[in-house]
Amino acid sequence: MELVKDWRLHALVLLIVLLTEWVGTYEIGVGPGVILFLPMFYAIIIGLILYFTPLVKKASAKNAEPFIVLGVTLLIAKIGVIIGPDIGTIIEAGPALVLQELGNLATVFIALPVAVLLGFKRESIGMTHSIAREPNVGLIIDKYSFNSPEGRGVMAIYIFGTVFGAVFFGLLSGLLATITPLNVLSFAMASGVGSGSMMTAASGSLIAAFPDLENQIAAYAGASNLLSLSTGMYLSIFVGLPLTEKLYRLMQRRRGDDAAQTKGE
Amino acid sequence: MLKNIQEWILLLAIFGLTAYLGNWIGYGMLSVDGLLGIFVLILISLAGLILQKLIPVNIPSVGYIGILGILVSTPWFPGSEYVVEWTSNIQLLALATPILAYAGISIGRNWADFVQLGWRSFVVAACVFLGTFIGSALIAEIILRMQGII
Repeated sequence: MELVKDWRLHALVLLIVLLTEWVGTYEIGVGPGVILFLPMFYAIIIGLILYFTPLVKKASAKNAEPFIVLGVTLLIAKIGVIIGPDIGTIIEAGPALVLQELGNLATVFIALPVAVLLGFKRESIGMTHSIAREPNVGLIIDKYSFNSPEGRGVMAIYIFGTVFGAVFFGLLSGLLATITPLNVLSFAMASGVGSGSMMTAASGSLIAAFPDLENQIAAYAGASNLLSLSTGMYLSIFVGLPLTEKLYRLMQRRRGDDAAQTKGE
Repeated sequence: MLKNIQEWILLLAIFGLTAYLGNWIGYGMLSVDGLLGIFVLILISLAGLILQKLIPVNIPSVGYIGILGILVSTPWFPGSEYVVEWTSNIQLLALATPILAYAGISIGRNWADFVQLGWRSFVVAACVFLGTFIGSALIAEIILRMQGII
């Protein structure tokens, strides 16, 4: 019951919510696209700043965690009741929803070469095999142990995602949906790739940019997120991680050859 | 279990009230229907949390909650029109703001680890997130176009 009695935490959150909702949404044009600043982004930043003031006790920061989890359950319930009346549209979009999960693998081809070029060794496997949410962290730690290079790698991305993921996805999704030729509904599905708060921020920006499509965006993002949660780890186990390992060895061999050649010359 | 349920109800009620007030300030929606909407969402979440404890299969509670939410709002569920009507008074974004406010306060604990990561990790992380996001969007675009949905 300690969580409930932390009235100072709840009062602070209420104040943050009222203030940020009162300020409202702003948009900045970037060429043909827009970056949206939503109340939820101010809220995460104000919350972070408050952590470093005496207003927030260290225990409160820990007490805040279950509220994120419970808040996400309410959000998912809301998305459920958005989907329900139009369940047909989700079933119709089923093939796209399932197959876009494979998009998670694209990160291996894009991020692994970058990580290796930047000089990461086996850390790069943990870093780039997936989007590094809780199930993936569990998988890597289970397979390589927490103190392995792979474990350090996955933790780096996990920490980055925890701190910066929501803001990163939120700012980016609205911008990409307005400047790229891809349809906003495709980005709605892509919004579900990460954690609940990443999905919230990414789809929130899309909704703010395309308010007429609110229900469809929320439905696609929510369904995609549920799918990622349930299949993400298996995709990592059977495809993502083996693929990353293979690609990494290939790149190492190539670099090894290069190094040998340079020596020989 | 009973203690768990009691705590969940209180925590969900605190969160729900905050979201309800944010919904009023941000979107000018203050109504009894909105309160009923929050109440329904809390019931759905609670049912999902309880199911997760009762059913010995490793499915996260949001899995049950999503399905329950869909179920009670499909047209053939008795009373679904009330569920849809009441919950439509609660904006999705109004639920998001308190989540991220709590998240902001809680991520402060990770801040020291975060700044230690160094710029190379930031670059890789940005590539990981961008790669996954764009990869998924591209595949979705292709399939949705093939199906003629967009």
